[in-house]
Amino acid sequence: MCGIVGYKGKRQAAAIIIDSLKRLEYRGYDSAGIAIFNGKAIEVHKEKGRIIDLEKVIPDISGTVGIGHTRWATHGRPNKINAHPHTSGDIAVVHNGIIENYQQLKEKLSQSGYNFVSETDTEVLAHLINYYHKSDLIEAVLSALKEIKGSYAIAVLCGNELVAARKDSPLIIGLGEGENFVASDIPAILKYTRKVIFLNDLEVAYVDQDRVTFFDTEKREIEKKVNTIDWNLEAAEKSGYEHFMLKEIHEQPRALHDTFAGRIYELEGNIVFDGLKLTESRIKDISRISIIACGTSYNAGFLGKYLFEQLSGIHVDVEIASEFRYAHSSPGSLVIAISQSGETADTLAALREAKSSGCRTLAITNVTGSTITREVESVIYTRSGPEIGVAATKTFISQLAVLYLLALYFGKIRGKISQDRMKRMLVSLKHIPAQITRLLNDKEMIIKFASVFKSSNDFFFIGRTLNYPIALEGALKLKEISYIHAEGYAAGELKHGPLALITQNTPVVAIATKGLTYDKVVNNIKEVKAREAPVLAIADEKDSEIEKYVDSVIRVPTTEEIFSPVLSTVVVQLLSYYIAKARNCPIDQPRNLAKSVTVE
Amino acid sequence: MKAVILAAGEGLRCRPLTLTRSKVMLPVANKPLLEHIINAVAENGIREITLVVGYKRERIMDHFGDGLEFRVNIDYVFQDAQLGTAHAVKQAKDHVEGDFLVLNGDNLVEADTIGDLLRGKRGSVTLLAVEREQTMGYGVVISENDRVMKIVEKPKEMVSHLVNAGVYIFSQEIFDEIDETPLSETGEYAITDTIQSMIQKGKIVSMVESRSMWMDAIHSWDLLKANAVMLERCKKDIKGRVEKGATIKGEVMIGENSIIRAGCYIVGPAVIGKNCDIGPNTVILPSTAIGDNTSINSSVEIQNSMLMNDVRLGSGSYISNSIIGASNSIGPHFSTEVSRDLMIEMKGILHHAELLGTVTGDDNAVANRVLIRAGKMIANSCSIESGVIVGRDIPPGSIVV
Repeated sequence: MCGIVGYKGKRQAAAIIIDSLKRLEYRGYDSAGIAIFNGKAIEVHKEKGRIIDLEKVIPDISGTVGIGHTRWATHGRPNKINAHPHTSGDIAVVHNGIIENYQQLKEKLSQSGYNFVSETDTEVLAHLINYYHKSDLIEAVLSALKEIKGSYAIAVLCGNELVAARKDSPLIIGLGEGENFVASDIPAILKYTRKVIFLNDLEVAYVDQDRVTFFDTEKREIEKKVNTIDWNLEAAEKSGYEHFMLKEIHEQPRALHDTFAGRIYELEGNIVFDGLKLTESRIKDISRISIIACGTSYNAGFLGKYLFEQLSGIHVDVEIASEFRYAHSSPGSLVIAISQSGETADTLAALREAKSSGCRTLAITNVTGSTITREVESVIYTRSGPEIGVAATKTFISQLAVLYLLALYFGKIRGKISQDRMKRMLVSLKHIPAQITRLLNDKEMIIKFASVFKSSNDFFFIGRTLNYPIALEGALKLKEISYIHAEGYAAGELKHGPLALITQNTPVVAIATKGLTYDKVVNNIKEVKAREAPVLAIADEKDSEIEKYVDSVIRVPTTEEIFSPVLSTVVVQLLSYYIAKARNCPIDQPRNLAKSVTVE
Repeated sequence: MKAVILAAGEGLRCRPLTLTRSKVMLPVANKPLLEHIINAVAENGIREITLVVGYKRERIMDHFGDGLEFRVNIDYVFQDAQLGTAHAVKQAKDHVEGDFLVLNGDNLVEADTIGDLLRGKRGSVTLLAVEREQTMGYGVVISENDRVMKIVEKPKEMVSHLVNAGVYIFSQEIFDEIDETPLSETGEYAITDTIQSMIQKGKIVSMVESRSMWMDAIHSWDLLKANAVMLERCKKDIKGRVEKGATIKGEVMIGENSIIRAGCYIVGPAVIGKNCDIGPNTVILPSTAIGDNTSINSSVEIQNSMLMNDVRLGSGSYISNSIIGASNSIGPHFSTEVSRDLMIEMKGILHHAELLGTVTGDDNAVANRVLIRAGKMIANSCSIESGVIVGRDIPPGSIVV
């Protein structure tokens, strides 16, 4: 989840690498460093903290080839010594991933006289390449990589030579004119080029300024396809907002419209997917669905469970990807993997496991050409554009949108939803983006509530059925960005334990939109009110009863019960944002967290 | 040269449309006023734009982002209190160097209008003047050749037909002059007061008269006129799908993923946004703009009107000379009455409207068979029940039975 950048060309490498690293900062930010070949030797500069801290300590370096890194610690503490690049003789390496057998390699190399200065696994790699390096850098890299167990994306600098390689960790090559780039993520180099090549596992790239050559593990040259990226860098800029997160919350109506575009035909009551490879008869044959995901995507998947069960009548298990190890999948089951980046290591590992047992696979992801898209049968893209804030917002909403569409589509094919009901559902669904715009237009209540409760140490979010996953998501958002301890609970579960924690100092956010379980949620609200907890209810705008039981109410526009979680989501996002803002937290880059987690 | 566009004001006289967005975001031919202005600026090779924003600024930022989509670089400065045009210009001080262009975000201009001003630049201030038959309510420019002698704000009698268009080229010295500008009687720091004082000090304030387009929308219904003018410039461009049996005549633009169903009859100039579902058998007549994600059911007739984004309109409805705000859900057999020479009362003052049906704000839910009397308006987030004849203005959040 760290960021890697490499450059070789005509321009001063340091400035370009620093600029690119800034765009990768959301991937990790506890330390950073660069290595530049100045014509005679490799100069390395590192610093603990953020890129701007690194920028302050870098002198003028003249050199047109170099590598850079932003780190998020997995091995060894975040400090200057453990920051990348790591060097060994005239070799400098930046690395993303985990080397599992680094202890053995470290012992072996120590015996050969290599001296280790850091606590990182990456240093092993630098020494190992040095150990094999005679005259051909590619051969040295290939030999070193053969000894390594684990995952990696690396860029290696030796003199003015630049080599990149990957296994189970993302890496791309950017093609410019008289200059070429290496990066772990597309936004890093979008400013310079839109032509990229996706490196596959066990491929090595030799990056020269005029051309890039690709090799397999046996050093046979291979041909690669060039992709053109149609993203705007706009999305990587804050455009007037104080934080990416708020900007991205505001982009949700657009993200939803884009996710719906060309897929909804309301008059016909039809949904059309381009990337779905499941025939109608296969959809009818699905016996069960397993949804695998992590973090926010897990919460989306959890709502997906209710949707598939209610709308399509299919049994669904939702599993945290890192716990999905013992697949009980059968050929009749469908595995849906949800990953914003398409690079989430835990999700990819679980997916591979599931695939080996012969079930069908489908991915919901936001990133075209990401690793996950190459591993599954069907891909459905959320069209949210790049998301920079570490706390997922618009990609969560788009994931929900895709899950709604899929569940409705499956339900119709399986005869659970009539054409007419489908039409009515699609009309309501199409109206959701405008209803979000309306919510965003009036945030006063939320801001007020946030300022009152910003100093609380604990928060509870409660909801039943469809609103339970949103309670989880609300708690996750608040934890992530405001550092307040928060729990999401099924409202009926409080009395089985957590009620003991409820006092006048634990605000409770109750998602109480109109629906089947409304009366029961009101009863649960009374339970917490009896313990004097301040309660904020998220309720339907037409609900005139709720204010009798709670301290504050935030209203959401009226929609069908099944779609109301989308609107409640926006409220919990804004609530978390404004609480974190009132607490002066670094909202876009919370401590200890990274945007896409590419280690297991 | 950089451009500063003033976009912080609310636009009180454009209510109810400005209850949920600022005036610069009101659409004309499916694009916000401000977007037309930014396009005109960009066509003159000015790519660095500072937007001074305030009221409902997030709507502006959400639409324009950093400007890349509009081929410009945009940065934003905030004017928290609406203390007048001079105060607004001052906010941009750290964002401009050398001479810079200043425009109002709610006056429609074309590229040539700005080109005329740029070519005629002279002295400390160059201002754009346009000829108007009626000068009531404007600042009137009194000049000798191209040298401005005086700007008379809202004159009671006819002194000249040239009015100040609110488009300027300033040099850096304007900022010192703004600091010396006193608060006006109306409690604002007005840039015209700053310019007036510069004239009195003997500084060169020149003017350029342009015959290219300059339009201001004072009232919400003036947007219909601006919409018609801008639609005249559209060229036929059909990206969506037109079913067999639908007729498209003249210059009609249809956005991506939109469907025009059989039996529809659309006469340009007209524009239909993306992701729309129109018809079957719906008639759309000239000078009509229909926003994105809009669904219009069967047998509807619309003429010389604007429907903003996300509107849903029931079958058998009739809309003429009207503006329907975003995200209205309107049931079947909705009808607008149209009348000439209406006097519309706002805050106790009567305003004239030449030809008008209705203007509605955003997010209203209108049930079946509702008729709106000519010139009556519905604010936002209202709920109108079946069979109602709306004969008065409806305030925000009302439920009308």
